[in-house]
Amino acid sequence: MERQRVGFSTYLFLIPGVGFIVLFIGSSIFITITQSFGLFSVTGTSQFTIDHWVALLGDRESLDSVLFSLKMGFLSSAGTILFAFPLALFLRKGGTGKRFLASLVKIPLFIPALVSAFLIINLISYHGIVNEVLVALNLINRPLRMLNDRFGWGVVGIQVWKNVPFVLLILASSLASIRDDTIDAARNLGAGAIQILAKIFIPLAMPGILVSAILMFIKAFGDFAITSVAGPVYPPSIALRMRNTASLFQEWDKAAVLGVIIILTTLVVTWLYAKLAEFVTGGEG
Amino acid sequence: MSKLVLEELTKRFDNIVAVDKISLEVAEGEFVTLLGPSGCGKTTTLRTVAGFYKPDEGRVKFNERVMNDVPPVKRNTAMCFQSYALFPHMNVWDPHMNVWDNIAFGLKMRKLPSQEQKKRVSEALGILSLEGMEKRKPGQLSGGQQQRVALARAIVTQPDILLFDEPLSNLDAKLRVQVRVEIKEMQKRLGITSIYVTHDQDEALAISDRIVVMNQGRIEQVGDPQEIYLRPRTSFVAGFIGLANIFKARILGFEGNLTLLSAPFGALRVDLGRSYPIGAELDLSFRPESMSPWTGVGGNKLKGTILHAIFMGDAMDLFVDVAGHRLRARAGSAARIAAGDEVEFSIPESTFQVLE
Amino acid sequence: MRRDEFTITTLGTQTRKNLYILLAAFFILVQLVWVGLPILMTVLWSLVHPDYPWSYPQMFPEKLSFAQWRFVFRYTNIVRALKTSYSVAPLSVLLAFFLALPTAYALGRKKFAGKKLFMTLVLLPIIMPGMVVALFLSRVFTSFGLAQSFFGLVLAHTLMGLPYMIRVLTTSFEAIPQDVIDAAENLGATSFSKIKDIFLPMVRPGLLAGMVFAFTTSIEEFNLTFIIGTPTFETVPTILYSFLGYNFIRTNASVIALIMMVPNILMLFAVERILKSDYLSASLGKL
Repeated sequence: MERQRVGFSTYLFLIPGVGFIVLFIGSSIFITITQSFGLFSVTGTSQFTIDHWVALLGDRESLDSVLFSLKMGFLSSAGTILFAFPLALFLRKGGTGKRFLASLVKIPLFIPALVSAFLIINLISYHGIVNEVLVALNLINRPLRMLNDRFGWGVVGIQVWKNVPFVLLILASSLASIRDDTIDAARNLGAGAIQILAKIFIPLAMPGILVSAILMFIKAFGDFAITSVAGPVYPPSIALRMRNTASLFQEWDKAAVLGVIIILTTLVVTWLYAKLAEFVTGGEG
Repeated sequence: MSKLVLEELTKRFDNIVAVDKISLEVAEGEFVTLLGPSGCGKTTTLRTVAGFYKPDEGRVKFNERVMNDVPPVKRNTAMCFQSYALFPHMNVWDPHMNVWDNIAFGLKMRKLPSQEQKKRVSEALGILSLEGMEKRKPGQLSGGQQQRVALARAIVTQPDILLFDEPLSNLDAKLRVQVRVEIKEMQKRLGITSIYVTHDQDEALAISDRIVVMNQGRIEQVGDPQEIYLRPRTSFVAGFIGLANIFKARILGFEGNLTLLSAPFGALRVDLGRSYPIGAELDLSFRPESMSPWTGVGGNKLKGTILHAIFMGDAMDLFVDVAGHRLRARAGSAARIAAGDEVEFSIPESTFQVLE
Repeated sequence: MRRDEFTITTLGTQTRKNLYILLAAFFILVQLVWVGLPILMTVLWSLVHPDYPWSYPQMFPEKLSFAQWRFVFRYTNIVRALKTSYSVAPLSVLLAFFLALPTAYALGRKKFAGKKLFMTLVLLPIIMPGMVVALFLSRVFTSFGLAQSFFGLVLAHTLMGLPYMIRVLTTSFEAIPQDVIDAAENLGATSFSKIKDIFLPMVRPGLLAGMVFAFTTSIEEFNLTFIIGTPTFETVPTILYSFLGYNFIRTNASVIALIMMVPNILMLFAVERILKSDYLSASLGKL
């Protein structure tokens, strides 16, 4: 890095990249917020109003969607980390077969979300192989309804399947920063495997765990495609409800309210995790 | 080739004064080392000479020309880095820069005709005994070879001033000694004015025409290696270069050319080369190797108890308690001395240095 | 005494070794089923012969054929969608590259106030919920006549690829040792030759990685394409979506899923092999 102080011209360099992003994302956020208050309306009758908010906040169905999406966000994020963490620990250092395992684990990362959804749908559908095997083994009498199930386990399953490698990458890079000396020292001082896990690996991997938790939550909470093909008939995810409200029913102002709710929830959760990270890492993160 | 003059050079980073009003003159063809602990301002000074930093105050002059506003590209200096800083790539499509490309880089930038480039690179390869390695990539060379490539890359451009930024600190001890001899020989042969930065006192003593000892952004002492080692002027210099016994003493009187002192560990007769008022307090130092077991003639005689005796191979390093005062002394490696022994030592009158 | 100790420790390492092999075997087996089975099933489904439907309780299709593949290529929009996908992707990568280069240079090599904020802003397209951005960006696009246009689609895909491109390039710019740049300057390199001989060659691996990430992101982009592009422009993901919706035809969807994922997998694995370094985690590992 250059030690000399740099002038204003440096900021000009940021315009193409950061400017482009801020322009597009910023304008879409701006439209979402203003439209939720009735401004820039499609119908042309632009006027400030909080009617859409009042109407939507009292709406039982919208609340169901928000709760459902929150549930999907938390479960997907927790599930993915639970699956990825042991793998990350195991893959931390090289060994026989690990190269192969690492490549194998990574495959879903390279598979688009929609394709992942389809791959899993194929397995868990009513006459899918999972049900067939379970029936053949006499574990169940008739096939289980795992696709479009009322709880949303199908969606969680797809999210976990698709995102384990993504979270694994983030966890691996934070585990890689743990020095062997530290572990040897702990072992030398008499720490057992569980203590090493609890006192060294988990605390030191915490920043990585939190970052992946945030990213996973955001992905699953705002998801449209996966829920729309594998989610329950009711309630739709909030993103799905928003899109239907806008495109099918042409109620853009109401959709904007839902959009603001998604953005706000995303921001609040991110902020909460960031605070948590500060608390956990003692303000270094 | 250039003379280098620094006039009241000052460089600050934010509010930290890295270099504080340094003045120095380096003659044409001279090899000068900036020596000091990390953070003393030696590297900042070097990089200011190269033009990577602009001085906040003062001037950098090559011969009579003020260089303050001349960008590094136009200074015709050549620098050797601690990390070697060899170029791994040539351009986007031809990925690897080999030894030859690295050495020729400066010549290409100067747009020299290719015949001339070829001649000069071959010469440099010869000087640094790198013949046959032209096609190798930096990654395939050992540390010592990489540093020699960096040296070759620096000298082919026939720079006015050669700059060395701790070039040997990434090499192992034996190689360091070997390469520093090579650097010294090459510099003498080519006669290029050289500024060398290091924190290693042995390296500085071995390689330099003159040493500039720096501390906290200032120059403590300038002198040739012998002067710096044998006649340190400040307690910092005495303590930083080699080992020293430093103590306070009061002047009691005179005896011919010699001064009589009262030191914490006894009365001393010393030759200070000049006279001081009676009763004055002085800071004094002497080297451990000046204090050795009594052989029966001359010098100040002191009796002490050995605290530790450490066998060093070529000598015996002794920690001695003399009248409750701890001193470092030396004995020959054949001496049979152990902790707890009572031993008589002698210190010659002329080995004491007055510190400022 | 010493001998006993020796035996105990060797036994210890032996059990450890066995435990390790057991664990490795377990993970590999689980992953083989976990990752392999869904892909295998899809391959089988795409090869089911139309005259011999694969149904309960058969464990394996009776007859395999490429009939489904021929059908999909002949009677669906897949060819047009492939053309759209593979012309939008390179254009958006190129655009993202030119936009990212100056920004990544400044983020990687300059020191300035608010750098952390800018690094986070870059991630906005990834962090912001995709459908919200898609819906309301489409409103912006509509008012500028960009909705349902090819150029609009390229812009949208550029937006989604930019974070990867900027982050990866920033990391590579950061990784260039200052000494090497100083050395070039010291030897008389002009700004132009510094860019040509030092910067570009040294960020080349990162550039390649960023381009592949942006490319695959574009190939799999759904939300923005669905809202801004369809029905005028169909890409492979929107076609797949339509096959997963009301008219769910498993065999066709299998074919399209494979068309979509195989090039991605090959490309990303090739990049990993060539680069031998984890650019994705290096660039996204910190928020």
